[in-house]
Amino acid sequence: MTRMGARLAALGLTLLLAILPATQALARKAPEPGKKIVRLGVTQAVDSMNPFLAVRIVSSSIHRWMYGSLTTPDPKTLQPSPDLAESWETSDDKLTWTFKIRANAKWSDGKPVTAQDAAWTFNTVMTVDAAKQANGPAVENFESVTATDDRTLVIKTRKPQASMLENPIPIVPKHVWEAVGDIGKFENDTSPAVGAGPFIVAEYKKDTYVKLKSNPGYWRGAPKIDELHVIFYENPEAANAGLKKGEIDLIGRLAAPQFEALAGDPNIVQWNTQGRRATYLQLNHGAQTIDNKPVGDGHPALKDPKVRQAIHYAIDKKALADQVQSGLAVPADGSIVPPMYQEFFWKAEGDDLVTHDIAKANEILDEAGYKKGADGVRTMPDGKRKLEMRFSIHTDTPVEDKIAQFLTGWFKEIGIPLSTRKLDANKFTEETGFTGLFDIAISGWSVNPDPEEVLATHLCSRRPTASGEGGGTESFYCDPEYEKLYQEQLSELDRPKRAEIIKLMQKRLYTDAPVIAIYYPNNLEGYRKDRITSITPIPEDKGILYGGSGYWPFYSLDAVAAPADSADGGSGTGLVVGVVVAVVVVGAAGFLLARRRRSVADERE
Amino acid sequence: MTVPPDTLLDPGPAADPAAGPGKGRGARRPVLRYALAKIGGAALSIGMVIVATFFLFRLIPGDPAIAYTRDVPLSPEQLDLLRRQMGLDKPLMQQFFDFVTRTLRLDLGTSYEYKRPVTELIADRVGPTLVLVGTGLVIAVSLGLWQGTRAAWNHGSRFDRFSTGLSLVLWSVPTFWLGLLLLMVFAAGVGPIPGIFPTRGMEDVDAPGGPLYLLHVAHHLVLPCLTLVAVVYAQYLLVMRSSLLDEIGQDYVTTARAKGLRDDEVRRRHAVPNALLPTVTLVFIHIGFVVGGAVSVETVYSWPGLGLLFYEAIKGPDFAVMQGTFMVVCTAVIVMNTLADVAYHVLDPRVRSA
Repeated sequence: MTRMGARLAALGLTLLLAILPATQALARKAPEPGKKIVRLGVTQAVDSMNPFLAVRIVSSSIHRWMYGSLTTPDPKTLQPSPDLAESWETSDDKLTWTFKIRANAKWSDGKPVTAQDAAWTFNTVMTVDAAKQANGPAVENFESVTATDDRTLVIKTRKPQASMLENPIPIVPKHVWEAVGDIGKFENDTSPAVGAGPFIVAEYKKDTYVKLKSNPGYWRGAPKIDELHVIFYENPEAANAGLKKGEIDLIGRLAAPQFEALAGDPNIVQWNTQGRRATYLQLNHGAQTIDNKPVGDGHPALKDPKVRQAIHYAIDKKALADQVQSGLAVPADGSIVPPMYQEFFWKAEGDDLVTHDIAKANEILDEAGYKKGADGVRTMPDGKRKLEMRFSIHTDTPVEDKIAQFLTGWFKEIGIPLSTRKLDANKFTEETGFTGLFDIAISGWSVNPDPEEVLATHLCSRRPTASGEGGGTESFYCDPEYEKLYQEQLSELDRPKRAEIIKLMQKRLYTDAPVIAIYYPNNLEGYRKDRITSITPIPEDKGILYGGSGYWPFYSLDAVAAPADSADGGSGTGLVVGVVVAVVVVGAAGFLLARRRRSVADERE
Repeated sequence: MTVPPDTLLDPGPAADPAAGPGKGRGARRPVLRYALAKIGGAALSIGMVIVATFFLFRLIPGDPAIAYTRDVPLSPEQLDLLRRQMGLDKPLMQQFFDFVTRTLRLDLGTSYEYKRPVTELIADRVGPTLVLVGTGLVIAVSLGLWQGTRAAWNHGSRFDRFSTGLSLVLWSVPTFWLGLLLLMVFAAGVGPIPGIFPTRGMEDVDAPGGPLYLLHVAHHLVLPCLTLVAVVYAQYLLVMRSSLLDEIGQDYVTTARAKGLRDDEVRRRHAVPNALLPTVTLVFIHIGFVVGGAVSVETVYSWPGLGLLFYEAIKGPDFAVMQGTFMVVCTAVIVMNTLADVAYHVLDPRVRSA
């Protein structure tokens, strides 16, 4: 019996070794020769294929490839450029927008794209609650949307809206969606879904992949590649391994350690560019609810702009960018809008610029009457309370741990001992977003080509409600000057003038310091240059590949075509090996059975 | 050797099942009563799970509406709308009442993230989990029982020390770490070792159809399954080993040897069947956990099963999905426990007579 066991084990091992190459040959069916396929790895599963419901980056990216919008950011300037709308004009009172829908755009089922499709899409978002999930805010200011003829769309707004041309809503075919019924329950997961974008979904396998094919009838002309596969990885390390091995061709949104792990591979391009995110500190300068009632337990010293300014001087942003982000970030000499958006980015210069200067920070605090005690800790001017503060960060985020260490060191030198509070994501959002139970907290925001929405997170109206529910504030800020500027930019349709106002808002945030930007993390990606031959980032000059706005990078993609010889070779060999394996298995089983019979017979004798 | 008095009276597994106090026709009714009592207990437990689930998940701090829309700019009106859609605007007791009535109708709510009914999401994920954990469990149980038997029969031998030691080492290894290690070596490839296994998931785009599809999935299954087996087989090995060691010292084994039976037969026909009983319970309880999936393994290998669903729900946080998966897993464990009780009752006459 023991000998038998050993024999079994040996046989099993042999079988396993025989099967391995066979299964490997079957791992990927070889593509048709000449076909250009690009496989994008993503570390986010698709939340919904319905563009009215999806909020994740992966889903909204796919929707941008499937559908068109009124406008799309120009890949060079990021300014709005024609998409399904070929031109537009505004009325003198700035309240009526008239869009001309292009005549040469077709749905993938051959029907023309009309103004009725756009009107139906916008009206659905405006009137159906369930349809507001993805892009509700984009139509909040809309009074009415009508199609006056097949090519003319008229949008009337309640108040002037400068960000109108950044409307992100994908336009869906009315003739298909009218029959859907309950939009909130529609999954839109049957392929091919009718669209008017550069790609058409050919197959969607939940939590596994989305297979897109190029749209031959696309009005700009079909993309250069034939297929785009979006492949889901839960685990970023596995995605990295997949890229190195060649199971995928591109991954975006990498963390610094993952990005660094790609170094040294001759086939991989490490794509390191300026990013769309700002990392900043949020200072509890006296949190209040929307009815101006104080909430929380922020340190009273933080109400004093002088203290906030001194804290700003104590921070060495370059050290943080270099050491916390391994140099893969730009130190922030501005506020919440990153320099990637050249048009809107405000850069602190001259007297406005705050540099790392501990002596200056101490000087400001001394002058303002916060005296240092014998223990080196400052107290409030009335001597009652020490300037001991808490720094709130998330649990399990090594980057934030490092920031905390650096800040603690610098703040000690200006007489403010800092203790770190680690909170899980929910508790963190609660304490820093609506209950105000913090002194200083880490925060960050990814900014869209139009910065309106990130600017809005510092408005009075975003503070928590009287009953204590969050309103989406990022700072509890409520400043008359900032509010005035926000209203002004809303109705300033002259783009350069509007950019100036937006810069003034950033300046206000920088100098008043309810938030202090520390750095702008770079956008880190990697792709295989032996597979992808060309790709246009957005913006074109060192921009983003995956996760940016618009569809340019993936529309412009070109790749190496599948070689002719691998065509039937792969599956053919696989089949042959499979048959061989099957024969071996059957043979071995027969042999074993025969032996077993004999041994049973032996026992009986 | 001292023998506990009740073992002396032990009729042994080969004894007539009717030897219990039930006797004859009467024996049926106690079995039924026993099963009914167990099922009643299970139903009660499931009820308590439903109540506990609701309050447990409400203890998680934070406003789900805010947490869910993190980094998505929403106006206060939109947040209110979202809270209404989530049913968070109603008083807690109303929410609880709705929750219980819905759950009893097998409606586990709608996922905030996926905008789909939780029951559908779970149904989608059960298949992959059963494939992964089911295969893993079969292999782990066979491997554990086989090694446990051999280790106990030759206890103290080099095989015993090695296999017990190795299984314990693997058992103590964190699952995600072992998974990542195997992934890095056998999927990504290190040095001369080629990465022959896929780095993710259960299938690729353009997977072959027909019977080749099974091979395709099997290829994807190797590493996750190996990780799972490595981490869990120790428990079967150890339980089997210790219960067989208990049996080896029993008089009936000595008797069997005295009858002149071959060592093989003493082990196979007498000792092992008795030693199997505790292991049966263990296996049953584990089948319950199978449904929960192996969260770490599924996460490392992007395996689209229940464990991954649960992990993503926690990251969300997606309360409806967390609640739903939690209840499904609890129910499965309770049901399997009950089955284990009943099976034990059938398999072991000693339990019936007790």
